[in-house]
Amino acid sequence: MDLTQFRTGFALWLDEHAAELAPQFAGAGTLPQQVEQNRKVMRLAFDADWMRWGWPERVGGLGGSPLMRACLGEELNARDLVESSFASLHEVLAPTMIDFAPPELAAEMVPRLLRGDENWCQGFSEPATGSNLGSLSCRSTRTDDGWLVNGQKVWTSLAQFAQRCVLLTRSGTVESAHRGITALFVDMDSPGITVRPIESMHGTAEFAEVFFDDVLVPFERTLGDEGQGWAVAMDLLPYERSTALWHRAAFLRQRLQEVLHDANGDQLDPVRVGEVTMQLYAFRARSRATQHRFDAGDKLGAETSIDKVLVSTAEQAVFDFAQESFATRIALDDDPISARWRGEYLYSRAATIYGGSAEIQRNIIARRLLNLGSDR
Amino acid sequence: MDREDLELFERGLDHATGSWTGSALDDALVELGWGEALAAERQAAVATLFELQGRANATSSALAAVVRDGLGVGNECGIVMPWFGNCIAPGVISGDHVLVRGIASSTMVNASTTLVVGAAGEEHVGVVIKTQELSIRPLAGLDPSLGLVEITGDARSVDQTSVDWSAAVRRGQLAMSHELIGTSRAMLEMACEHALERVQFGVPISSFQAIRHRLAETLVAIETAQAMLGEAWEDDDPQTTAMAKALAGRAGRTTARHCQQVLAGIGFTLEHRFHHYFRRALVLDELFGSARVLTRELGQQLIHTRQLPPVLPL
Repeated sequence: MDLTQFRTGFALWLDEHAAELAPQFAGAGTLPQQVEQNRKVMRLAFDADWMRWGWPERVGGLGGSPLMRACLGEELNARDLVESSFASLHEVLAPTMIDFAPPELAAEMVPRLLRGDENWCQGFSEPATGSNLGSLSCRSTRTDDGWLVNGQKVWTSLAQFAQRCVLLTRSGTVESAHRGITALFVDMDSPGITVRPIESMHGTAEFAEVFFDDVLVPFERTLGDEGQGWAVAMDLLPYERSTALWHRAAFLRQRLQEVLHDANGDQLDPVRVGEVTMQLYAFRARSRATQHRFDAGDKLGAETSIDKVLVSTAEQAVFDFAQESFATRIALDDDPISARWRGEYLYSRAATIYGGSAEIQRNIIARRLLNLGSDR
Repeated sequence: MDREDLELFERGLDHATGSWTGSALDDALVELGWGEALAAERQAAVATLFELQGRANATSSALAAVVRDGLGVGNECGIVMPWFGNCIAPGVISGDHVLVRGIASSTMVNASTTLVVGAAGEEHVGVVIKTQELSIRPLAGLDPSLGLVEITGDARSVDQTSVDWSAAVRRGQLAMSHELIGTSRAMLEMACEHALERVQFGVPISSFQAIRHRLAETLVAIETAQAMLGEAWEDDDPQTTAMAKALAGRAGRTTARHCQQVLAGIGFTLEHRFHHYFRRALVLDELFGSARVLTRELGQQLIHTRQLPPVLPL
């Protein structure tokens, strides 16, 4: 199947199953409703094979270009069928499993994720480890029965809904920095795991803290080799910056179109409309080129920090504009659509914080793309 | 052109733009067969030349050829560009006369005849006039080495021809965007070089985050424009192309501001070549629509239609 056939066929399928796919709630819905909606859409799309295209056959896929995955998420976002902020998590986690998990484990687990049978989470950040990932301290110790994990993670999206966790742990000494990190694939129902959701200002508890207290993880659940955790984390970055960002572009375009359609025209400032549109379209153009480079087999690297700067700038520009256009609704109204605008506006404030802060991206650009040397 | 030909072509243009400017560069372009390349591989010819021209701060009359190509006229007539800041055709046609006010570089109007585009209702018409009937006034202004001239006159039509003004504007915008990007990249290189060499408090100033972030911001602005420019070549749509030009103009201004701050004292003097690029960026922003004007126009169109511009599929 080529990309054009995929796009046309998938769009047709979405039209035919519109009623079945549509959310059964107004506005944003609650977090459990959003999670359930995403899972429903993935299950239906997987059973109709659409969700399987672009993934390798050894993990239940049908092969073909990963551009089909980019296209699938684009259509779902453009039609507002999924909660965009976490609908692309599988795009980050499944490739990591495919690249690093023992083949039989990947073959068993990845289809569950893609079909929406399971949610997975990503245990990277820690209270003392934000931007400086190499300093993480959640401890893994070798025992006769497997890894014994002790420590804490934070900002773990959807941990309270997750069946599995891709977890970075400190297996070496703290001084070993990025060399002493080991990645594990952990069952979230293992004894000793406690999840505490974090109430955030945008109104849902999408993030959580996860506590590990003598949690036993079998050695077969090691992703890559012992001490290879940094490579796992670095391998994941390009995925986070390619397909998932393309999906976000489709979401932002849908929202900007909605503002343009619904706002009071007399109050719209043409300069602002022009600026925000250009910002979004340039991000989309950049991301589009990145998708094609990725598809052509190019190794994505530090240059994707520019994509990341552009998505966060575009996201804040779109929602700043939405807030200006719907100021009263966002400040005062509690109907489902106004509440959704408010939540999404507030969520956009985090766009320059999560996934590598705006400052970290600029540091990477300076060091790696402009060759300005170290800042220390 | 295959890969090898393209590299050879680029090397030739790199050498030419680095060695000559003005009519000497025009001669070199003839020798390199740039005009043939424009006909055969438009994007490669325009992108390569104008970006290099920007990098070298060189000038040529190549823009006239790009605009002629867009208009769909083959002969070697002179060309008048829209007046500063906008994309409105420079002529007003009344009977067999055309009233002209526009801008050009001096080498763009050195043929015996000149083509002036004017609006006639919804359509645009190309009016061929004798160049000698035009009044050509040098505009030294901010960027004297660009060699801009003001073109005015009330000239008699010798011949008329149908033209595609919208395509001419798009091509002009594409060329100017490439030149702005080349100009911006050159400024960024100068600022990075300076930041690595200049030592204060015992360390190169490139180690200070305030400096690094300004330069990172500059690269982001340039790459933003470059991404949109790639898209504009692909879909050849007026709104996409206008967005690319607006972003390139804005990138030029952003780059000029940040790089001047990093270059600090030396960048404010005529002893450093930065000022040439600063001047060029500001003036190029105004040709075929400034960032300010194009942004406002795009916004007005969108508010009118309530519909975002179309996008290219993946």
